Amino acid sequence: MVDLSVKRGKLLLKNPIMTASGTFGYADEFNDFMDVSKLGAVVTKAISLEPRSGNSWNRVIEVTSGMINSIGLENVGIEKFLSDKLPVLREKNIDFVMNLAGSGMEEYVELAKICEENKIGAVELNVSCPNVKSGCLEFGTDAKVLGELVKSVREVYNGCLIVKLTPNVTRIEDIGLAAQESGADAVSAINTLKGLGMKLSFRNGKFLREQVIGGFSGMAVKPVALGVVNRLKQVLEIPVIGLGGIASMQDVLEFLAVGAEAVQIGTANFTTPDISERIIGELTLFMEENGFATLDDLKERLRGE
Amino acid sequence: MTIEKNKKMNKGEVTLIERVANEMFLIKIKVAADFEPRAGQFVSILCDNHTMRRPFSIMNFLDGEISILFKKKGDGTAYIANLNVGDTVDFIGPMGNGFQCVSEKTLCVGAGVGVAPVYYLKKVLGENARLIAGFQNSNEIPACLQDEIDFISTDDGSFGAHGSIIDYLDAQINEYKPERICVCGPHIVLKLVAEKAKAHGIPCEVAMEKTMACSIGVCRGCVVTLNRSGKIDNASVCKDGPVFLGEEIVW
Repeated sequence: MVDLSVKRGKLLLKNPIMTASGTFGYADEFNDFMDVSKLGAVVTKAISLEPRSGNSWNRVIEVTSGMINSIGLENVGIEKFLSDKLPVLREKNIDFVMNLAGSGMEEYVELAKICEENKIGAVELNVSCPNVKSGCLEFGTDAKVLGELVKSVREVYNGCLIVKLTPNVTRIEDIGLAAQESGADAVSAINTLKGLGMKLSFRNGKFLREQVIGGFSGMAVKPVALGVVNRLKQVLEIPVIGLGGIASMQDVLEFLAVGAEAVQIGTANFTTPDISERIIGELTLFMEENGFATLDDLKERLRGE
Repeated sequence: MTIEKNKKMNKGEVTLIERVANEMFLIKIKVAADFEPRAGQFVSILCDNHTMRRPFSIMNFLDGEISILFKKKGDGTAYIANLNVGDTVDFIGPMGNGFQCVSEKTLCVGAGVGVAPVYYLKKVLGENARLIAGFQNSNEIPACLQDEIDFISTDDGSFGAHGSIIDYLDAQINEYKPERICVCGPHIVLKLVAEKAKAHGIPCEVAMEKTMACSIGVCRGCVVTLNRSGKIDNASVCKDGPVFLGEEIVW
């Protein structure tokens, strides 16, 4: 049996395959398709203090090799998460990371306190959603502001603190370093790119336009994500969790090769709901067949170390 | 690697594909034995290398074959229209809730390709249902269903009664005296039928259509707003629907 585990400081996973926030609900939705407990971790849909109803209708559109979403962090709120969703995750032995989205510093800190009180083992700070007007993205684009946020959260939360970074910045190294210096245990990258998807048709002398402005994700963004992870690895000592366009084991290997310690699968969960379980199976088989006893052995060889 | 709990990942073989109206196609897919859909549920088909699966109401399920009626509109549906007998279809389903009605005398109302799920409902309800449907013109009426529809109207009068199906709804309700109305079609048709049903004091179920990314209720891409006893909340068309009570929808 090969050892797929990831042990990097407080980042402890039984395997490197996670599912990305916003693409996997609160996990129980996927029980009809796969055994969710096999995942390294499920990152929950973003959770805020109060329930959020999100943006108005017409929230998703397909584009070439990807999609645009403008959901706006719709979620059930932390109270309902704790009462309805958390017991299911724990009962089914699903490893999870809580993705937290605040509209201001105080909300993030309050959320983190609640996570600490409820013994939530890992949180991911969403400082990078492009689809809400206040909070979120502005924390992720200013190194100084992000540093203050991470520091404040660190003071009240002792579990594994992951900061999810946006690629929509000039120098992502500065943002990553700010997270590291302020006490983050890991960063994950990338959140979605800002984009616009359109479908135009011409009927009876009139143009019909279907359009969504929002976050661009899917296979098309993988080169951007790999580039970002590669840049972060040049400057960071804390682990980087790679995500963006992963849809196969080959993609996972590419992220590990540029230095990611674990990966998240996002949009591909929509296309193939059991893709994450399939990739765990393929990765296990690949390692068995090629004599890699541990994930660290595989990473070492991939990176030519 | 064996996948134990894989109830809804499905593969099937195309047994028939034919054009049944202008840009409208019927496809039949042979599926595994344990597939048990109900009227109003849907399947989501993987279209080649497209990121988003395309959702389609089930039009019938007979002898292990799913029938789907679809309109060729974009490159996803063009891919399906180009499939051949013997090709494999990767789909998830049955998804969604389906129509709730089981025994009431039901008026099934379809508009355009939306006739598919209410046709299925009528098949299930048998003698206890009446199916009426509206189309743009005679070229838009699916040949495979023409004889199965009890009353047809066309916008241009090229077949059946002249006008929108909404124009004939009062008369149909007064004549048939349904205990329930179930409808599928464009958003505006759903809204108007729900309003008529309310005016007649008859419960109405509407099967909605929205662009979906995940089809399973996690992405929140296909939400509608509901008003349930004064409580305003979002519901996803794919998981909480696609069938809702007309009176609950905030149009």
